[in-house]
Amino acid sequence: MELTDADLVARVLADDDQHAFGELVRRHQSTVRGLLRQLTRTDIALADDLAQETFIRAYKNIRSFRGEARFSTWLYRIAYNCFREDARRRKELIGVDEEQLQAEHDPQTVDAGLRHDLMHALSLLPLHERTAVVLCCQNGLSHDEAARVLDIPLGTVKTNVLRGREKLKRTLAVWGPN
Amino acid sequence: MAAMIDDETLDRQLREAVPYIDDEGFTSGVMAKLPATRREPRWLRALILVGLALLGSGVAYLLSGGGRFVREGVIQLSGFPIWLLLVFAFGCGLVVGAFAVIVAVRKTPEVQDVARLRF
Repeated sequence: MELTDADLVARVLADDDQHAFGELVRRHQSTVRGLLRQLTRTDIALADDLAQETFIRAYKNIRSFRGEARFSTWLYRIAYNCFREDARRRKELIGVDEEQLQAEHDPQTVDAGLRHDLMHALSLLPLHERTAVVLCCQNGLSHDEAARVLDIPLGTVKTNVLRGREKLKRTLAVWGPN
Repeated sequence: MAAMIDDETLDRQLREAVPYIDDEGFTSGVMAKLPATRREPRWLRALILVGLALLGSGVAYLLSGGGRFVREGVIQLSGFPIWLLLVFAFGCGLVVGAFAVIVAVRKTPEVQDVARLRF
């Protein structure tokens, strides 16, 4: 029988079992790296560095995980904090760089595929809306869980998801309902 | 004008747009950077705890004159009326039970969630 995340965390807590922690990394690396790739606008190298930092911090602070939320939600929160700290270090002002992004957008490079258009449209959303959409719509977190990850009020998360969705829908309207 | 897609379709497309990212050495890279295990094995911690508890008990026994205060306490209790002993036992049970409930609630997230509900 496969061990649950809670079982693996318990092993890490009881015996500092690094093999158990390795299993947790293997299980969650894809979603954490995916989230960070969305936040860093597909800067894969930076996203992977931040993901590595996320897991190392998680290991060092695993005693602060009380099991009140899912382990993945706790990881997302660490990942988001890593991203924010890195953005501050790089003197990037979070959430107000939309105009710059629009300027960087080159229509010539847009692929004809829906997936590409969707990801591109997602990358054009302001950070607060993009993060909320990625967490709730893409990774299946509830609004409440996303509010905990982002440390913002529940109502703000709902608004950001709603606005982000509407913008994506408008962008993708050309593809129709299928 | 083209029709707008619904929330469910959009969420599905968003999920499908992100493929599974292969590990490709990521986990081993993380494991190589983890700090070395610094805690002693579980059995050693248990041994230290039991050893200290036994040592403390021994010292307390010797310092209290061979546990004389326990004997004297029992003798004094035996002189109390039975109803007072029953009340004392009941009170002790209530205090211990209350502590147990508090600890259980603090350690059970599901119960905490229910306690936070607003009606």
